[in-house]
Amino acid sequence: MAAVVVTPEAFTLVQFDAGRIAELVAEVAGRVGLPADVEVRVEIDERVPLGRSRLTSLDPITIAVQGGAFENAKVPRTLSDRSVVDVVGRLLFRAVDRLDPAFADAPADEALTLPQHTAWDAYAVGRCERVGYAPSKPRRLYHFRNRHGFTDTADRVFERLWSADGLTWADLDAACAETAATRP
Amino acid sequence: MKRHMQATELARDERFVRISTEERFNDPRQVPREPGSKRRPGPQLRPERHEAPDAARAMMHAIFTGEIQALEGAGRTCWDFEVGADSPFELKLDMARQCWDEARHCEISVKLGDHMGTEVGEYAENVVLFEAACNPDPVLRLTGVNRALEGLAIDVFNTMREYGQATADPVLEFCEDWMLADEVTHVKMGSDWLRRLTENDPERRARALEFQRVVDKLFSAGGFRGDEDDSPVKLARRFRELAGFTPAEVEEISQLSRQARAEADAAVR
Repeated sequence: MAAVVVTPEAFTLVQFDAGRIAELVAEVAGRVGLPADVEVRVEIDERVPLGRSRLTSLDPITIAVQGGAFENAKVPRTLSDRSVVDVVGRLLFRAVDRLDPAFADAPADEALTLPQHTAWDAYAVGRCERVGYAPSKPRRLYHFRNRHGFTDTADRVFERLWSADGLTWADLDAACAETAATRP
Repeated sequence: MKRHMQATELARDERFVRISTEERFNDPRQVPREPGSKRRPGPQLRPERHEAPDAARAMMHAIFTGEIQALEGAGRTCWDFEVGADSPFELKLDMARQCWDEARHCEISVKLGDHMGTEVGEYAENVVLFEAACNPDPVLRLTGVNRALEGLAIDVFNTMREYGQATADPVLEFCEDWMLADEVTHVKMGSDWLRRLTENDPERRARALEFQRVVDKLFSAGGFRGDEDDSPVKLARRFRELAGFTPAEVEEISQLSRQARAEADAAVR
């Protein structure tokens, strides 16, 4: 099981449990296929109630999130297991991809366009579903349509990415070009 | 049937979880990110933001619960007051028409939630809108609901409509545009009834407008709704004027929002 380091170890502004987060992250790391000896760091900015989350490093694998990303939207300031798994599953699948030579040509995250980010997310979250989690597919479809257009082509490409395995960066880039060609 | 219900008595099924205004405003995370940095009233709904689709989903859910409360508020106004000089039958008829509109808005909002991948009850519900609809004086209640609450609805719907335009989402843009038109009508009804019911009672009209100022300031939510460059929800000046607000009245709401923001800034220093 992956070694997980969560910072901070104790929270003062939100009712998060670092131990529980580490437990969930370790389980996700196993399901997405990361080696057991890998270290995963999760840095949480509890001061910010917003939901930004990023993969900031591959060595060690580091995920940086704003506190709102792990929050239970029904009961603010409390931890949601589902939110943790949603965010971490998506980003760890991205880490797995980035460690694969098939993604060697992918630009750094900061250089990705919003359509590229969203296409990669659809591909990652679809795999989360297939490893046994229950992410919201309609939510991801809405994200995808926001960036790729509210068109039949965008919906078709989304379905393809959602159910795909073994894609390369070139495949994701081609998917973005396909939706761009039909965007109004 | 009971008259003058309190917000705590509103019926909801198990999907809904309520958050109080106190809890919302006392969230300790509403502090500057770095020492000395300026507090922001909240993120703006701009498509270029990574989190914009989720922010739109959250706002749509807030609109949905707001529509339920607007329906409950207008419905209570039909029932809570006897027909008389204070609440003529025609006023109740207008409120019944508004109930019809709000019920339709609830249904549209649920379908928009489906469109945006949002579950009913996914976010906590705050009942501050219904609280503004609990005033025992029909004139004050009408002013709080139809001018302050529905005025806020104009600003929010316009923000969502613009987001739909910016993301080329034909469903969101179309639905928000139609609901916005209804809200303009609701505000206009409130303005007309305020004038008619207080025609010979300037003191009561002054009290009603003062109540509206209190509610408008509360609804400005520390500058979340306002006229500044970084206001997440902007005052929709054009639509407010179509609804019968004078430019001076819109300016006053803008000023109230600046005050609310300054007070929120002071509270976190």
